[in-house]
Amino acid sequence: MYLAEVNAWDIVKKQYQYKLQSYMGVFTSLIVIQIIAILFSFNGTGMSGGGSSTFSYSLNYYSGSMILIFTMIWGLITAIIITSKAYRYDDYSFITNRGTTHTSNLLFLLSASIFAGITVLLCTHFIQVLYIYSVNSESVMFEQLTIIQNLKGISGTILYIFFFTSIGYFIGSLIQISRLFIFVLPVLFFGAVIADGLGKEQSMIPHVIKFFGNESSFGLFILKILAASALMYGFAIIISKKLEVRP
Amino acid sequence: MKVVECKDLTKVYGRSNALNNLSFSIEENKITGLIGRNGAGKTTLLKIMAGFLHHSSGEIKVFEETPFNNLKVSANSIFIDNEMSFPPALSLKELLITAGSFYPYWDQKLADRLFDYFSFNPNIRHGNLSKGMKSTFNMIVGLAARCPLTIFDEPTSGMDSGVRKDFYRAVLKDYLAHPRSIILSSHLVEEVEDLLEDILLIKEGEKCLHMPVEDLKEYAVGISGKTAIVDEVLSGKDIIFEQSIGTDSTYVVIKKDGSQKELEKAEESGLELTAVSIDNLCLYLTSKTTGGIDHVFS
Repeated sequence: MYLAEVNAWDIVKKQYQYKLQSYMGVFTSLIVIQIIAILFSFNGTGMSGGGSSTFSYSLNYYSGSMILIFTMIWGLITAIIITSKAYRYDDYSFITNRGTTHTSNLLFLLSASIFAGITVLLCTHFIQVLYIYSVNSESVMFEQLTIIQNLKGISGTILYIFFFTSIGYFIGSLIQISRLFIFVLPVLFFGAVIADGLGKEQSMIPHVIKFFGNESSFGLFILKILAASALMYGFAIIISKKLEVRP
Repeated sequence: MKVVECKDLTKVYGRSNALNNLSFSIEENKITGLIGRNGAGKTTLLKIMAGFLHHSSGEIKVFEETPFNNLKVSANSIFIDNEMSFPPALSLKELLITAGSFYPYWDQKLADRLFDYFSFNPNIRHGNLSKGMKSTFNMIVGLAARCPLTIFDEPTSGMDSGVRKDFYRAVLKDYLAHPRSIILSSHLVEEVEDLLEDILLIKEGEKCLHMPVEDLKEYAVGISGKTAIVDEVLSGKDIIFEQSIGTDSTYVVIKKDGSQKELEKAEESGLELTAVSIDNLCLYLTSKTTGGIDHVFS
């Protein structure tokens, strides 16, 4: 009898390919969500106006932030779904162990984030084009970005989405440990927000947003997001260590 | 080399033991039947072997390694049951190709031929198959993967009798061409006994016996005759099974222990000796009481 020696990295590559093929539904849902987000964005994200007796003006702001928010939520939910039983069992029909499953999941979510990040940028441009063609307006102004700024924007977008997938992966892993977390996590989250709001000054949410959202140094921003994502994935891997595969 | 080796293997679910101090070992290139009643712990044992479950205490080695979360064991073994899950996005044909990309000894030609023989539609999804067709498809994956350790857990559930016969034949043919260790769990002993070399019989999580099928055929003898004579001849013997027939006759199964003379004596005193089929013997050995269902109604 000859036992096959397998290399973990080879299996990861095969699983990654297998996942790209079999998780196609994830990308379909992304497109649907982004179309919905475009429809929402089309109303504009802000508006101001003014005038006097002789003239009046109104200013509408349009941005892709709605699309980004929708896509981040998509990333969160996608990651939760991937940790669910149905998806785990699919892995165990072929060669795998926990390590390769986590690694290929991470690679898949990273690729999905990159794809989603690029489509967010494209959607943003799409809104601009759509707006020019459909709305009869006196003047349209765009923020002109240099290539560097564009690249920074796109990598920032990807990192935000990836960060949300890591949160989702952590939440999903918790739920796999115990179904109770389906109830506990929302209670904890909303409870904390409400408890936070009872105080004089709201601090938690604004602080978190400020910590990740208002970083002016791009290098530091990358560091923060990657460290936070690594922490989330690390926790997920640790807590799923004891999990049995198929009861 | 031993393919599977267990020592005092115990698995606890809540407060009950699914497996209880189970010790045995399986040599390579044998077809072993894992036989037991419902709830005896067959599936639990196989899932621990495949690395799907943790064991609670004791030791299990598959290819001399602990199977849980072990890539080497995963690559060299395959666990086939009717709950195998495949992604709904892939068609049956794509699933076979994917399986081929994973398993190093995969035989695509065999897979294709079996696939055509059982007339599967290549574009259909696994989730849309009927129960029997799912079992058949999973069996194809299990055979074509040619893993050194192939585990079939109740592989024929849902298959019609034609497909079941084809399945046993396919296992045997492929085993002869490519010897490997196959473990097959079943409670239909009659169907599989021609296929098996060894039988591992478990009862309530404990090993009942583990021996070649040939030996098991000679393991016990059935004696029937007048109750009075049977009782006299068999006093002090280890009785496996006892059933009264009519008003004054009894059928008893006892273990053969080499005392050929005693058996001859029994025959002379008017008792009838019969061979016990493996199917019945397994039932008798694993029944919880000696009286059987009759006791409930008496």
